[in-house]
Order: sequence, then structure tokens, then C-alpha cells
Amino acid sequence: MRIARPFINWSQRNGLFFAYLGLVLFFALSSGRFLTTSNVQVILVQISVFGIIAVPGAMLILSGYIDLSIGSLAVFVSIVFGELVVTRGMSTVWATVVVLLIGLSWGLSQGFLIARLGFSPIVVTLGSLAGARGLGEYISKGQNQYGFGPGFGELGNGQWLGIDIPVWVCAVAFVLGAYVWYQMPYGRHMTAIGSDRAVARSLGIAVKRIPLLLYGASGLAATLGGLIVTSQLDGSSLSIGVGWELQVLTGILLGGVAFTGGRGSLFGVLIGILFIGTLTNGLIVLNISPYLQNVAVGIALVFAAALDVLYQRLDRIPVADPKEEGQPRLRASLKLRRRQR
Amino acid sequence: MNARAAADERGTPVLEVRALSKSFGAVRAVRDVSFSLFAGEVIGLVGDNGAGKSTLVSIVSGGLKPDVGQIVVDGADRTFENPSQARARGIETVFQFLSLVPTLDIAENVFLNREVYGPTRVLRWLKRMHKSEMRRSVVRGFERLGLSLPPPRTKVAALSGGQRQAVAIARVVLWGSHIVLMDEPAASLGVKQTEIVLSFVERLKAQGVAVIFISHNMEHVLRVSDRIVVMRLGEKVFDAPRSDVTAMELVGLITGATTLV
Repeated sequence: MRIARPFINWSQRNGLFFAYLGLVLFFALSSGRFLTTSNVQVILVQISVFGIIAVPGAMLILSGYIDLSIGSLAVFVSIVFGELVVTRGMSTVWATVVVLLIGLSWGLSQGFLIARLGFSPIVVTLGSLAGARGLGEYISKGQNQYGFGPGFGELGNGQWLGIDIPVWVCAVAFVLGAYVWYQMPYGRHMTAIGSDRAVARSLGIAVKRIPLLLYGASGLAATLGGLIVTSQLDGSSLSIGVGWELQVLTGILLGGVAFTGGRGSLFGVLIGILFIGTLTNGLIVLNISPYLQNVAVGIALVFAAALDVLYQRLDRIPVADPKEEGQPRLRASLKLRRRQR
Repeated sequence: MNARAAADERGTPVLEVRALSKSFGAVRAVRDVSFSLFAGEVIGLVGDNGAGKSTLVSIVSGGLKPDVGQIVVDGADRTFENPSQARARGIETVFQFLSLVPTLDIAENVFLNREVYGPTRVLRWLKRMHKSEMRRSVVRGFERLGLSLPPPRTKVAALSGGQRQAVAIARVVLWGSHIVLMDEPAASLGVKQTEIVLSFVERLKAQGVAVIFISHNMEHVLRVSDRIVVMRLGEKVFDAPRSDVTAMELVGLITGATTLV
């Protein structure tokens, strides 16, 4: 019993992990082509871009903020990159540096408006969602640029130790994210800001600087994502970034980060992103109409809302202290856990 | 015992506010306010909305900077740029229902923004938290204070009201904080939770902590305060021991119908 309890605790809080195993099992049994090395590789490469963006994205939501501009920023920097390399003849390395700086400053500017001046996060980044894509369309005049050479192609298509470069980048993003979240005090501080900003401020937590830097990181991650896809396509295309915010947000919320802020885990986000990527891939492998894929993402979001309620209830399971107060009232679903003690 | 006799007995005040003023544009939120606070004393700070109570407390907690005036903590003149500096001098602010973060655990709450890094120098430089050390010192601290609690990894959301109170007390006392500012800590709380907040004040007082308690509820103020300060339109209009005033008189002072002093 003593060994079982932490496990039961863990599995209640990570129900999505088991749902994910079920999903994998279902697709594996339905199609022989699903669990092949090449298809697993395809899934990992596909989700790596979303994974990179989801790390700062999840931290923003944990702190009670949101960034809807990621997809549009990705296409904007892709267009600018194409323009710099093809029209201006800049080297791909320099163009990469330039657009990363553009993405970072775009994110920091949003962070300045939101965290310093108190503008609404949804409104500002929604404006950015429309504006950045519009700027990209204006600069490109609807024309795609292509042909960046094999060197730049390595970013999206290259491999190291048999694993694709984007997957490595995503892994590094998660490891760095986990360090910031769990080993440095910032995960706690973000949780406190998302839970109650006034309380966090009275404790001396950097309630303005943390979100500001997170918006910068989000801009940087979106740019990196945009560059990876540009490299994979060997072209800057206006089709990049469409609907990314929905995919990333669904992954984050499925992973158990509360939309209102104040609760979440990075491990959950990883599973959430894997879940969304696997779901869309599995539907393709099963030859289900692409129109239905958005329906599946929609259902997953509603499922995420249900998980959120579950996690809230789990948080409130009282610790028995019969001396102090009467026996805590327990919901039927939770009685089982008490009997096991 | 009147206030002056108490002052002589207790020596230096832990907090002295001298001629503090603060304006927001044309609005003079706090005008030339002075008062002293002694160890183990509870001041009830009352006044109507816009009387300047919250502004005054924000200045003391480092949230706002005064235009003129001094804040003297333990006999030394201090200016606070931010709440962290005020906390470093032993001044804690407690908001709505004890200012705990329910989704963090006990140890995380007690050490919130006071994290311990390490154990090695490299790890300290990398700002890596020494979590096991923090949990150990929380357990030691609770034992020292004679407070019993579930394991330090328990989320505050799962604690009863009484247990949360113990965490809030530990957060103040374990850090050696001796001044607590409470701005409407019991607003919109139920009867049971309100009782926990009020007895929180009494237990802090028993630990020798000085408290400034802001509330609109006269019953609460009269119950926990040793001394009552009334503010009206930014000015201090009354400052006397609790025994010198009744609830009716207080209401008169707050609205300006009565003038004492």
C-alpha cells in the first residue's frame, strides 16, 4: 500500500499519460503502418516545432498570460528571411541571426505592452496575430521565395546520431524549460503570479519582469519554429504557421496547465503535445478525411477542459486532520483513495 | 494602560512613520501622517474608502514611494524601493485569506521568493534550488514553533483552514519578520475563515509580532486591536487605545460626524 499510494497519486494527476498510451495502442492495432520507425520519426519531427513553442507558451499560461501571435510571427519571420536571402543576397547564417533578433524584439515589445503597461494579453497578441501575418503578406506580395541551399536545409532535415535536428532542438528546449521551471525558483514564481498577482507582488516576486522575458522567449521560439519549417520546405511560404496557436494551446491545456494560470507541469505539456501530434498523424495514417482532423483537435480541447476540472478537485483533497475540523466531506470518486490508506 | 505609558515600557518602536505624505496628481492620498508601532502591538487602521489606509500601508510595504516623510524600522531610517527590500527588514504583507498560493506546497509557500540555492557554489551560481534543505528547515521550523503539520510537500489547497493559518504564521515567524501589514485580510470570507484570520492576528501578537490591521468591519477591529488609528481624507484624525472608543464613536470619526482629539 505504501508503495502504491505515490503511484496512484501520480497516475491520477497524469491521467493523460495513460490516455496517450491508449491512443498509441489504438492506432497501432488499427494500422500496421503506424508504429514504424519512419512514422514515429515523422510524428516527432512534426511535433518538435510545436514543442519548442509550447515551452515558453506553457510558462506564459502558468503565469496567467497568453501568446496567440506565434503562428503569425513564424510566417512573418519566414517571409523576412526569404526576402533577406533571395532578394538582398544575405547569407543564410546572417539572415537567421537577423530574424531571431526580430522575433525576440517582437516578443519583448508585446511583453512590454502587456506586462509593463498592463494591456490585455489576449487583445495585444490577437492584434499581433493579424498584424504579423498581414506584414508578411505585404512584404511577400503573395509570392513565395525558395532555394536557400543545402546548408540551411540541415536545420529542418539534417540528422545527428540518427535523430532529426528539430527533435534535438525541441529536446534542448524542454530540458532548459524543465531547469527553469523546477530547478530555478521561476516555476514557483510563475505559479504564484498566475494564482494571485497581488500576493506575488507583495512577496517581492518580479511580476513584471518574468512575463516580459517569457514573451521574449515565446517570440524567439516562434521564430525558431518558423525557420525550421522554412528549412524543411526550402522556401518561405504564406502557408506557414496557420493554426499553430490552436495546436500549441490544445497541447498545453491537455497537459493540465490551467487556462486561468496558477497550475501546471512541463511533463504534462510534453505529453499533451505528443498527444495532439499523434492524434493528427494517426488520423492521416488511418486515411480519415483531413476535414475531421480539426474536429478531433476540437474534441481534444473539450477533453482538456474536463481534465482541468478533475485536477482542480484533486488539488482540494483534504489532508485528514480530525482534531482540527470535522471529517472532511469526500466525493464518491475519492472515497476509494481513502480506503486504501 | 494608556498608549504613552506603554511606549515608555516597551522602548523603541519597531516601526515609526514620520510626517508621511503621498499625492497622486491633484489627489492628496496621505497627508502628514505619523504614528508608532510597538512589538506585539496590533493597530487597527480604519477609515472610509479613499481615506488613504491602503496607500499608507503600500508605502510601508515598499509598494509605493512617499513624496515626503520617513519610515523608521527598529530605530533606523529606511527607504524601500520594492516589497523585497521591506521583507528583508522584517515587514510582511498579508492579503486576502493569508496570502498563500494554494497550488504550491507548504515548503514552497514558506520559502516563496526566499529560495535557498546550492548546496555547492556552482549550483548556487546556476540558481539551482536546494529543495531538500528547504523542506528540512520547514520541518525543523514547525517543530520549533510547536506547530504540527502534514509533510512539507502537501499542497496548501489540501490543507484545512487551521493548517493554512499555521503555514502563514510560520512564513512570518521563521523569517524573523516582526511587522505584519494586513489589508482587508478577511473581506468576503465566511464566518469560519474569518475566525481563522482573526486568531491568526492574535497568534502573531503572542509571538511578539507587531500588526497593522486594516478592515471595514468594526467588530473585527475592536476585537484584535490594542490601538486604533482613524484616517479621513488622507489625514490621521484619531489615535488612541481601543478602550478609549466605542464602535459608535468610531463610525462617527470615520464619516466625520464626530471629532475627538
